[in-house]
Amino acid sequence: MKKGILTFSPQVLRILALVVVTALIVLFFASQIENYLNGRLFNRISSSVAVMALIATGQTLIILTRNIDLSVGSIVGFTAFATGSVIANNPDLSPVLLVGYAAILGGTFGVVNGLLVAYARIPSIIVTLATMALFRSALVEYSNAKSVTSQNLPAWLVDFPNQVVFSLGEFQFRAGFMAAILVVLTAHIALTRLRPARQFYAVGSNPEAATMAGIDSRRVILIAFILSGVMAGLAGFMFVARFGNITVVAGLGFELKSIAAAVVGGVSINGGSGTVIGALLGTVLVDLIDNSLVRWPVVSEFWREAVLGAMILIAVAADTIFIRRLAKMRAARAHEAAIAAEGAKT
Amino acid sequence: MKNLGLLGVAAALMLGTTQFAYADAIKLESGKESKMILLPKFLGILVFDQANEGAQEAHAELANPGKLEFLGPTPENSVAGQIEIMTTAATQKQGAVLLSNNAGDQIAPAAKAAMDAGTKVVTWDSPIPSGEGESVFVAQVDFGSIGIVMADMAHSILGGAGEMAVLSATPDAANQNAWIEAMKQALATDAKYKDIKLVDVVYGDDQAEVSYNRALALVDKYPDLKLIMSPTTVGIQAAAKAMQDEGLCEKTKVSGLGLPSEMVSYTMNGCAPEFALWDFRDLGYLTYYTAYGLASGQLTGEIGETFTAGRMGDYTIEADPGRANAKRILMGPFTVYTKDNVEAAAK
Repeated sequence: MKKGILTFSPQVLRILALVVVTALIVLFFASQIENYLNGRLFNRISSSVAVMALIATGQTLIILTRNIDLSVGSIVGFTAFATGSVIANNPDLSPVLLVGYAAILGGTFGVVNGLLVAYARIPSIIVTLATMALFRSALVEYSNAKSVTSQNLPAWLVDFPNQVVFSLGEFQFRAGFMAAILVVLTAHIALTRLRPARQFYAVGSNPEAATMAGIDSRRVILIAFILSGVMAGLAGFMFVARFGNITVVAGLGFELKSIAAAVVGGVSINGGSGTVIGALLGTVLVDLIDNSLVRWPVVSEFWREAVLGAMILIAVAADTIFIRRLAKMRAARAHEAAIAAEGAKT
Repeated sequence: MKNLGLLGVAAALMLGTTQFAYADAIKLESGKESKMILLPKFLGILVFDQANEGAQEAHAELANPGKLEFLGPTPENSVAGQIEIMTTAATQKQGAVLLSNNAGDQIAPAAKAAMDAGTKVVTWDSPIPSGEGESVFVAQVDFGSIGIVMADMAHSILGGAGEMAVLSATPDAANQNAWIEAMKQALATDAKYKDIKLVDVVYGDDQAEVSYNRALALVDKYPDLKLIMSPTTVGIQAAAKAMQDEGLCEKTKVSGLGLPSEMVSYTMNGCAPEFALWDFRDLGYLTYYTAYGLASGQLTGEIGETFTAGRMGDYTIEADPGRANAKRILMGPFTVYTKDNVEAAAK
């Protein structure tokens, strides 16, 4: 058994563990809530995950480089509002241009964060705490106390997230969800297969070694923030399409949820380790629990936030313990192997 | 008939005394200087902006040479921000702060300090629950009657029987909580509503996304749910959109308090056949008249005092039936919007 575990990489083990935990939670709530296990549950969670999965992907890139982005919620809010206003004023704008606008706007906010963190060398928690408030205030100013309503949006935009691409029985795979999955998979393939993308891991796991290896870590961190901004921008586009009604509170609290999703998904807060697939599963898990708790009469409204907090703690604690044990087991095995080799020599 | 006659006499007598007691509504003299702050729950919400328009209209009418500032916290900082603005207002010697309170009783010490420093605190939309540190509350409508109107809309949409749930704003919003309580009371006391069952109250935090998900969770949790009642403009719109997106409008209707411009399509397609709201411009206008009267010393703020609020007519300061030791001015009434009038109002 021990050997079996050791043959998998920690990343794969984390993902397997997440899948098992998710399944256990689904089974638990299925025993507690009537009419729980059906296609509707899948449709709810998948549609709802579409926005957060994008943000969590961006957040993962940031956390990989040992940083954090608290401003994502404000970026989502701003781009959602700006995208909505632009399309409301120019209803004939092409969808591609609109998505591009959202991505570039989000990326621009990312540039601000990235320059301050990577080149001005201010800790990311301080920078993004400040820009979280700054971007939100910019939205309040820009919005001029008006709100975007779905009446002013073209039908294609409002209908897009709920269009069913294909369905398996009761399970509907909707356009919003599929688009988000596509983005996450692209990010995953890039991170695992492309050499430049591997630099995120290098910078996060050992900055000195990365510099020695000729990696420009400042540039890498800047790019991580830009990409996180782009992801938040795309999420803003998804947000306006899905909810239609955008006020200045749009995206409030998303920074916490995205960090929760990434951390629960096994992205190490110390940087250098984690996957966007894990973050996606983390998003699903957080959303699943949130959705189920509302339907579970045992937990009151006021305790739901506490449950989310507890989950983050448990995830990080479990991960730390698990990684430490794994490291010990590895060391022990290496030691045994060394002894065996020694024995073979004599 | 005889009884009716008697009632008529009594009414005439009462009217007579009323007119005798408050024969002269105080006409506010214009041109007095007083700096004021209009402090909404937070910036960026359409109804608060409308209240500001109303207040600015009154400000211009009364030719106050002082400045009327529309100053509010950002959404994520609402409670702390409101308290901070209230505290600074006192040191700036503002004549009055016009507050839509989002901080519960936490703002009372700051408001009391402001009052002690000579700044009048006039609340509107949402009062200070304890009434501490508040000169008077300008109530948009009688909180009890909002409950009855919501119960009546539920009655008409449900055809008198069925399950309903409430989707509110934040769990500590004083105004929403009072309205929900009033609705519960109406449902419990009038036999007309005996077949309407209120199954749950959930909170969408006045965020589109949270409200949307809560609305869907409600229909999942209660398969027989016929109505979602949302006493907040964000919640009602999100709930209506959620029902429309999932094709549930036939089964579960949405009602509550909403803005015609945001609700028109849902009312026309039957997702939200009826909803209500008052005029926030008028609310801002009346609040400004009240604050101006108090700040310029033309009103004392005593119960029974009547004054003329420009184009809106005469109003009287009275004891607040919902809060002991607090005073209010009742604006009322509000409009119920249906297919017949929503399109005109949305323009």
